[in-house]
Amino acid sequence: MIFEPQTRISRRALTVWKISGTINSFIFLLIGAGAVVALIMIYHWPVWIIPAFLALCLAYGYFFIFLFPELRWKRWRYEVREQEVELQHGVFIVKRTLVPMIRVQHVDTRQGPLLRKYRLATVAVSTAATVHEIPALDMAEAEQLRVFISRLARVAEEDV
Amino acid sequence: MSEPKRMHPIAAVVNTARQIKEMIVPFVAFFVFGSKGTDWDLYYWFGSIGILILFLLSGIVSWYRFNYRIQENELRIEYGLFVKRKRYIPFERIQSIDYSEGILQRLFGLVKVKVETAGSAGTGDSEAVLTAISKEEAANIQNMLLAAKKGGEKDGQEKRECDEKDIFYKMSGAELVLLASTSGGPGVIISGVLAFVFQFEEFIPYERVFKGFSDFAENGIVFIATAIFAVFVLAWAAAVAGTFLKYAGFTVRKEGKDLVITRGMLEKRQFTIPLHRIQAVRISENLIRQPFGLASAYVESAGGSVRNEGSSKVLILPVVKKHRIPDLLTPYLEGYEFDPAITGVPKRAFARFILKGWMFIAPLAVLAIVFFMPWGFLSILLFPVSAFWSWLVYRDTGWSLDGGVLTLRYRGISRNTVFMDKRKVQSLNRKESPFQKKRRLSTIGAIVKSGEAGSGGKVTNLEKTDADKIYSWFSREALEQQGAGNTEA
Repeated sequence: MIFEPQTRISRRALTVWKISGTINSFIFLLIGAGAVVALIMIYHWPVWIIPAFLALCLAYGYFFIFLFPELRWKRWRYEVREQEVELQHGVFIVKRTLVPMIRVQHVDTRQGPLLRKYRLATVAVSTAATVHEIPALDMAEAEQLRVFISRLARVAEEDV
Repeated sequence: MSEPKRMHPIAAVVNTARQIKEMIVPFVAFFVFGSKGTDWDLYYWFGSIGILILFLLSGIVSWYRFNYRIQENELRIEYGLFVKRKRYIPFERIQSIDYSEGILQRLFGLVKVKVETAGSAGTGDSEAVLTAISKEEAANIQNMLLAAKKGGEKDGQEKRECDEKDIFYKMSGAELVLLASTSGGPGVIISGVLAFVFQFEEFIPYERVFKGFSDFAENGIVFIATAIFAVFVLAWAAAVAGTFLKYAGFTVRKEGKDLVITRGMLEKRQFTIPLHRIQAVRISENLIRQPFGLASAYVESAGGSVRNEGSSKVLILPVVKKHRIPDLLTPYLEGYEFDPAITGVPKRAFARFILKGWMFIAPLAVLAIVFFMPWGFLSILLFPVSAFWSWLVYRDTGWSLDGGVLTLRYRGISRNTVFMDKRKVQSLNRKESPFQKKRRLSTIGAIVKSGEAGSGGKVTNLEKTDADKIYSWFSREALEQQGAGNTEA
């Protein structure tokens, strides 16, 4: 058995994901409601599809506002070591990734309006062929990490 | 060679021809469908000629504004009409060099040189192209490159001599025919022919033609069969001819620390890739070739862009008997083990391969049964077929670790075996779904740089302890606790 990486991402990530899950569910509700109204008015579908749709919305909301963000947060781990970055994430399928420092080309931090409000940022580690993101870290931590990784990556200068 | 130089004027013609080729469809549409036999026709004529002149002018101007020079171990090109652009490429960053001689270039004894770098994704072009320069110029550039690489040694001249002895693969005529007849080519051409024939459905009343034929054909099925067969043979011949022109004289040789591939009859091409730039080696066996024990080999290069995949996946052995590959490649590509002992996946994983196939088949079968009542039940036959395919995929999945090289074997449609040097792997990942976890299975994927994006391999449902082994092999810092002991510094 290989130990899983230890560092967790910010607990505030959960709040952000729940908010974006809520927005997501709301959009789903709006579009779905439009479709249901159209089906009943134009195509004369039976009225019982309304409760069916509402049940679907509840399930959708539960999954995207509560269950998935919780699972996702619980699973998200990362570790930045001297010679490599290791990530672990996934809701059902757990994916673990190793990125050697000598392959890191550059590191970015990014934040949208929602992340900024909660003082969070996403760190993206790019190799020549792939991009790996660590979402929703505390801003100070993200900045620290960015500097840390780019310093380590610079030490290990080697070409593609 | 520090003063800026222009290319040969033929470059202007080549540029113009390429632009016209790119614009040919809208241009023809404009010209043909625009003219309707009215007074406006004249304007269309003028318009079309005007556009042609514009193309020619822009070709000439872009030739005029383009210059290149070699300075301080860099290839420096400057170009651009309104926005002046400069691109400086340090020699040590060059991923591959591609010399080609199209028909126009051959007429004037010129050559086209394309220099590839490992451009970052998104920018779209990672190359410098000298469309037409004289052969002496090209040789000059190559010598300077070599001299720079040797660390200032001046004698790049002798390298042209050491040709013959370093050739490690030269395609024979028999292999050329084999290549043409077993590639996807004929299929593509046949479907092309069919598409072409059905284009004329509106003009040729096939139904009436066939009705007239049917009396004749009643006792003449043989005739139709012969006709169809003739079309296939023609298509096959065309494919053979095409492949022949493209791959005639295919030779791979080692020049110093570079791999050099030469091929082509009408358009001659020479492709140079430094050995240490090779990101991975791939052996591919397609469905037609595998039963005959034939395979082809590619090297993945970091150069090349989405537009020309040819320079990121470079064919080095078009088609050879599979058992010859280790002998052919091992002396030249050091560190790789081309005859690895592949470890397969455990028996208990077989069920997962079958289920995965059936998950795709099931909805199709249900739809077929619902909508095409009696005949839809035939779709049930898909299940054993899919199971057989899954068995092939299951049997062909495997891995091997040989020192610094990870080998992954998997089947998409063709069977692929990818050899990746640890130092060239960009990232490695391991996936486990809850179902896999229950059965102690894992999926391993490795990504190398190839062209703009990544390429690599993925093997599903490995024994979990095997996946752990690969994972900790790749890790630079000993993260395994039970000491598998094969983690290198």
